[in-house]
Amino acid sequence: MELKAILEHHILDHIWTFFSLGPLTLPFSKHVLMMVIAALVLLIGLPALISSKSPALAPFRSMVEIIVLFLRDEVVGPNLGHKTAAYLPYFSTLFFFILAMNLAGLVPYGATATGNLAVTGGLALTTFVLLNVSGMREQGVVGYFSHLVPKGVPFWLYPLLFPMELLGMLTKTFALCVRLFANMIGGHIVVLSLISLIFIFGGLNTALGLGVTAPIAVLMVLFVMLLELFVAFLQAYIFTFLTAIFTGAAMHPH
Amino acid sequence: MEALIRPEFGLMFWTIFIFILLVLILSKTAWKPLMKAVEEREHGIRHDREAAEKARLEAEKIKEGLEAGMAALKIEIEARLNEARAAGVRERDLIMEDARKSAALLIETAKTELESQKNAMVRELKDKVAELAILAAERVLQKTIDQKADRELVNHFLKELETGDSKYKLGK
Repeated sequence: MELKAILEHHILDHIWTFFSLGPLTLPFSKHVLMMVIAALVLLIGLPALISSKSPALAPFRSMVEIIVLFLRDEVVGPNLGHKTAAYLPYFSTLFFFILAMNLAGLVPYGATATGNLAVTGGLALTTFVLLNVSGMREQGVVGYFSHLVPKGVPFWLYPLLFPMELLGMLTKTFALCVRLFANMIGGHIVVLSLISLIFIFGGLNTALGLGVTAPIAVLMVLFVMLLELFVAFLQAYIFTFLTAIFTGAAMHPH
Repeated sequence: MEALIRPEFGLMFWTIFIFILLVLILSKTAWKPLMKAVEEREHGIRHDREAAEKARLEAEKIKEGLEAGMAALKIEIEARLNEARAAGVRERDLIMEDARKSAALLIETAKTELESQKNAMVRELKDKVAELAILAAERVLQKTIDQKADRELVNHFLKELETGDSKYKLGK
């Protein structure tokens, strides 16, 4: 088996079936399943955890609470100001949804739904819509577009800067999409490559593969897996943080 | 491998659909009770802090009042003490004066008493002497036979006096 085939098998989505829903042809695939599992875990787990009074669950309850309070005080609050309370549920859900999908990819037999450009693209699209809608709601449609170009710019630059700002909005969200996607598959590719090393060296010499390469590769894989665990939290935070910054900038242009 | 960068639009739809559904449901079921609990706690903490601050201010006010009362009390005690001391001195002087006066009076009365007693005794003595003289004269007159008898008589009388006949004894 070639490395390419292995990577394709582990990283790409596997569409099992298509079904039609009105005009839409929707796939049912491995990543859809993982996404649904992550969503169900959040949908059932979070309300149960938050409303439970069990002292055994108290540490987990306060973990969720600490994260939400951190998002409120450090991420959403400084950017959205007095609108924080209204938008906090969106950002909390965004963070926990991405985190749950990232972590689902680290579980055996799991797959990383966020390691799919369609999934991260969908999330980035919601951010794109959010920042435009929130900006228009805050300043009005005309005010929003007139504030797209920063103040103090000579008027003859407007025709040049307006399309650039529009383009900037697209690239910002596109970068969000690619950043999450690349970070999530990067770790997996490294892990798969390291494990493949064992078999490459094992093909040359069985003793070399098992005795020398295997322990080193397994240790390295362990390290990369821990790194991936960290990256899972980090990327969820970065996506949420950048979304908050973009939304804040769209709402308050000054 | 180009499938890696070829987004499946159905999957994108799923993502957006599931995410929006999650936002809508979790807002109601998870974040609302969580934020409610957090805000209740924060409110409670703020309320407690305010109450503590108020209580502290009140205690300070009470302490201030107490201190002022103590100071006033101290001044009053001082004044009362001084007053009492002055009154005591006055009283003592008065009593001393009184005692001195009454002692003088007592001495005066004793003196007059003594004087009158003395006078009475002198008078009595005079009477007694006169009586004795008359008695002696009587005896002399009864026995004027001879000088010898007279002398004898007088001597006898004097002896009688010396032996302590109570009848003629001087004084008591």
